[in-house]
Amino acid sequence: MKEEFKIAWRNLWRNRRRTMITSASIFFAVFFATIMRSYQLGSYDHMINNLIESFTGHLQLQHINYQDDPLIDNSFDYNDSIVSAILEIDKIVSVTPHLESFTLASNGTQTKGVAVIAIDPVKEKKFSDPEARLVKYRITDEALECIKESGKIADGVIGKVKKSVGRSYSSSVRIELELGLSDEEKTLWMPQILKCSEFSNGFLSGNDEGILVSDRLAGFLKVAIGDSVILMGQGYHGVSATGIFPVRGIIKIPSPEIDNKLIIMTIPAAQKLFDAEGKITALVINLADKSNKTIKKVKTGINALLKNKNITARTWYELNPILYQQIQGDSQSGQLMLGILYFIIFFGIFGTVLMMVSERKREFGVLVAIGMQKKKLKRVVTIEMILLGAIGLVCGLLASTPLILYFYYNPILLKGDLGNMMEDYGWDAVMPTAWFGPYFYWQAVIVTIMVLLATLYPLRKIGKLKEIEALKG
Amino acid sequence: MKVLELKNVNKIYNSTEVKVHAVNDVTLQFEEAEFAAIVGPSGSGKTTLLNLIGGLDMPTSGEIIIGGTNLSRLKSSQLIDFRLNNIGFVFQSYNLIPVLTAKENVEFIMTLQKWPREERDERTYELLKAVGLGERINSRPSKLSGGQQQRVAVARALASRPKFVLADEPTANLDSKAATTLLEIMEKLNHDEKITFIFSTHDPRVVKMAHRVITLEDGKVVSDERKE
Repeated sequence: MKEEFKIAWRNLWRNRRRTMITSASIFFAVFFATIMRSYQLGSYDHMINNLIESFTGHLQLQHINYQDDPLIDNSFDYNDSIVSAILEIDKIVSVTPHLESFTLASNGTQTKGVAVIAIDPVKEKKFSDPEARLVKYRITDEALECIKESGKIADGVIGKVKKSVGRSYSSSVRIELELGLSDEEKTLWMPQILKCSEFSNGFLSGNDEGILVSDRLAGFLKVAIGDSVILMGQGYHGVSATGIFPVRGIIKIPSPEIDNKLIIMTIPAAQKLFDAEGKITALVINLADKSNKTIKKVKTGINALLKNKNITARTWYELNPILYQQIQGDSQSGQLMLGILYFIIFFGIFGTVLMMVSERKREFGVLVAIGMQKKKLKRVVTIEMILLGAIGLVCGLLASTPLILYFYYNPILLKGDLGNMMEDYGWDAVMPTAWFGPYFYWQAVIVTIMVLLATLYPLRKIGKLKEIEALKG
Repeated sequence: MKVLELKNVNKIYNSTEVKVHAVNDVTLQFEEAEFAAIVGPSGSGKTTLLNLIGGLDMPTSGEIIIGGTNLSRLKSSQLIDFRLNNIGFVFQSYNLIPVLTAKENVEFIMTLQKWPREERDERTYELLKAVGLGERINSRPSKLSGGQQQRVAVARALASRPKFVLADEPTANLDSKAATTLLEIMEKLNHDEKITFIFSTHDPRVVKMAHRVITLEDGKVVSDERKE
């Protein structure tokens, strides 16, 4: 084997330039495929982390009819024993109750249909953490005057702030992003801008009877903290649901659609409003490992635990079929692109093989004539081809590794319209890479398959080799 | 001792419209340590006969028996092993393995035969010294002259102490001096190693040095002369 390896290795460098070109083509294919796939999978992960882990959860426990008919009538009894039993299952990080319904919200002459999400403020912190979405800064006319009065800020910056009057922000980073200030401007003027636009807000306590109103809805209803909002709707089994609720806080939801219609309240307050004592519409479950395999395994485990056959566990992709299909479709189109890339590279490798066989036909004949078994010669050629693929593969993987690591820990920050659009959809405006996973190792499998497929040609030629003909060249 | 026997060997090529009787009813015997040349005009069947003896081609009829083994009865892989262990080849255009050094080329056959490293090294140095290339053992074929390459090829052919060596026009690509040197080396090795050499050749120098000259015409043996 050592001798075969030696001959194969030296054969590889007989035509140094050709070997370098072929290896380089494999290198670039592996490098780009790995980076592209890592970004693609990283963005899906990011999307799932942001959207699924903060809204849907990896799994939800629901009434069997709730998915098709999301009414409060399709709620179920909530007690700690269910939660305790579910938490016993491996890989579960959090179990958070939700009671969701729709009502009309009214203040003065303003009325609007809204979505009500009732939460346990303590448990919810581990899940969507609405406290982090409380409005912390709001640029009002007064704030603008305050900024101007400080007399220190450049006119250009004042102009940028003026364009943002009426907007609210849940973090200073978001203001920085929106104002588009330079690093120098940030250092000089941001403390004053933040000071003048600071917004005093509140949150819900455990059994609070107050509500949190989303920023745009608060603007529509013309309510501020301390004002009251009347909610009117239909409760459990058709009872009338009416109540008046003080506004404890304003939250900023990046998605304008949700920001226009969301009210958050505590579960006891919602159960009282909807006359749904002890009921919830969903138990939202998040997992430590979000692979489909684990999600399916946990789903099966939970369903086996349930005594009430009217309740079932649903995965995030069952709850968001359109999003799941979009991710699948996008992933498949990415794979198709990589398939085309590898297909082209395969022909490059095959071209090298054709040349190699054509050049070495006589040599193959000599080797067999002097006593080298064909299977041994086949082994030499296979080793040579594997080495050719391995050089490009290993270099490609090694070159992509630091980039994947760097952009995993330091994702690209998206600015401008694309960044704003992503934030408006409720995602962090960043583009991270995915951690090393099957996609990384699959490159090795693909290259190996390509190389072995290309090797079939010389193996067949050697198998059919007739010494006399080969010796004639 | 008889090392090779051909009994009524025929080789007919049917691939063209006209049947070509390349080897016609040849019956020959070769003894140990013979230094024999097969001569004849172009197309007389010399190379075909050598290929048949070397098991690189199969006769249409007749038997080729080497050390008691009938080549026609061997399967393809058995034939390859048989060649490895019994026959040495020297080709007209050297045909060394270009990626191996002179030493590695010579020891290649012994490696295939799984000789222990020490014995392999000893035999390789001994042969390369015998062919006058003791100083060039680490040179690759591309760094050697035609004559030197052919000497390495001779050393390779003898490495595993085969029953006989087949040399197809070994001097055809060499200048006069290199050809003479090569022939002297082969004659000496034939004498020292007691290995049979069978040449196909046009070269009068080979004929002059050969102890036996077999003349072919139209595939037939027309004369078989042994020199005293």
